Amino acid sequence: MIDWTYALRRPHRSVVLPAIGAAIGLMLGGYGLFHAAPQMTAVPAGYIALVNQKGILASDFMAQTSAVTGKPFEQTTRAERDKTLQDMIDEELLVQRGVLLDLPETTTEVRDVMSAAVNAQADAASKGVPPTDAQLHAYYDAHRARYSTTGTMQVRDLLLRVGGYQNANQSTAQAQTDAVDALYRLRAGAPVEQVMQHFGLVDSGRADGGEVLDFAAKLHLGIKLFPIAAALSDGEISEPVVDADGVHLLLMQRRQPPRVADFAGVRPKVYADYVESVAKRAQDEALSILRRDAQIQIAPGPVS
Amino acid sequence: MIDPPATRQSAISGGKRRIFAGIALVLMLLLGAGLLLQHRLRQQQLWNRLLTTDSTRVTQGRELTAFAISKARPLYASHCAACHGADMHGDRSKGAPNLVDKYWLFGDGSVFEIERTLLYGVRSEQSKSHNVTDMPAFGLTGRLSAAEIRNLVQYLLQLKGQPHQAAAATEGRAVYFDLAKANCADCHGDTAQGNSNYGAPDLTTDVWHSGDDAEVFYDAIYSGQHRSMPGWIGSLNLAQIRALALYVYARSQGIADD
Repeated sequence: MIDWTYALRRPHRSVVLPAIGAAIGLMLGGYGLFHAAPQMTAVPAGYIALVNQKGILASDFMAQTSAVTGKPFEQTTRAERDKTLQDMIDEELLVQRGVLLDLPETTTEVRDVMSAAVNAQADAASKGVPPTDAQLHAYYDAHRARYSTTGTMQVRDLLLRVGGYQNANQSTAQAQTDAVDALYRLRAGAPVEQVMQHFGLVDSGRADGGEVLDFAAKLHLGIKLFPIAAALSDGEISEPVVDADGVHLLLMQRRQPPRVADFAGVRPKVYADYVESVAKRAQDEALSILRRDAQIQIAPGPVS
Repeated sequence: MIDPPATRQSAISGGKRRIFAGIALVLMLLLGAGLLLQHRLRQQQLWNRLLTTDSTRVTQGRELTAFAISKARPLYASHCAACHGADMHGDRSKGAPNLVDKYWLFGDGSVFEIERTLLYGVRSEQSKSHNVTDMPAFGLTGRLSAAEIRNLVQYLLQLKGQPHQAAAATEGRAVYFDLAKANCADCHGDTAQGNSNYGAPDLTTDVWHSGDDAEVFYDAIYSGQHRSMPGWIGSLNLAQIRALALYVYARSQGIADD
């Protein structure tokens, strides 16, 4: 039998004692190494379940059980509660899997929903303050163009082609000179068909004189001719306009320009637009803070 | 030099006294630490009981209720009183409801329902908050004319049993039920007694969160209402929220004083 008191009294005890300590430490370490860490089995108070250590609130569980069954929680059966809990666990597992798969990075729908949710939080406060009538009127005045009725026009587009069409190899300069002469005659009251025949003008095919809405006229006439036509009044003829296919003369037969709607007539839309604009402003402010606090680096190349 | 025997005896007695005093001090410290530990453990047990006890039975334990109220009072003062008032009587200028009048905008006033509101708030933009709908701005959006709103106000006054213009109230009643116009009955009900699923108040009572005169009614119908309350989940822990719910419940039932 070892005489520990003797051993400890020996001069070598400065070695023996650390050795004993080391042996005990090794035993404890070995025990810890070869025994799995104890699982956290107790569900914390206030939770109904833990799913990978993520808690499901007891309150949420009760509310969902009640909502799904349409009964007060106290009246639900054990089977109904179990079904609800299993559904909630499944949902939690799927969400956790989604996070693990980094769905916000790869899936457009998830990104859209997350962006919308953050924006909704940013503009939540703005919804609590209803606008005044004065604010709505000011908004309407500042954005009258949005509340305009669509204009209509009946216009003819006469064309002097250049570069080898009906009237041969006429140059653009020659066509412009002819167009000025034709314009003079038309304004003097000469019949349109007679002038067309004399100068070789043809209908361009972009406008046939039928009544069309402005957006349709813009589509057909193109962005160069439409603004000129839109500025003409009934019976007016435009100056010659050079376009890719030749020189054009626009004859406005009837013009109904866009009209700004009365405030009363568009009040619901003004209200909706105003509320949306306030929300957008709040969202933009929140975004500017995010930008301010973010580290954004842009690679040289396409945008620099 | 050797001390005389009497002096030595005295020195020994003094040394013993110091030792005894030291031992007594240590024992007292141990006792104090033990009591403190016991108190903390007891508190922890009560917090746990507060959360693990079914919300329908949590008010039955006197000790637990007293504990929750003692913990909730400072929380109420720091988190709720700014809007609902130190006396829980609400603030009409903020549209913050009275919490002790037994009328509830959302839910039935049970601990569970109060706790849900505390957890997720009202129109807090958390998807679990109370946010089914809100009071539309009937005037601002042009859905009702000024005359129609005036008539509706007269109908509300009639519902409350206050002086009103009978003919205008009849017109207002028609607007109240008109599906294409106000359609008030959709949220406030055919009997105008409200719907706590929507947060639509009972229009037949004297409980008004923003005021109870014709001008306030007109403004509410004209400009709408979008009252909100933050959800406290994440800011307060679950036990604190449960304690607050219990406190508000107890006050609303007259169980606790402020």
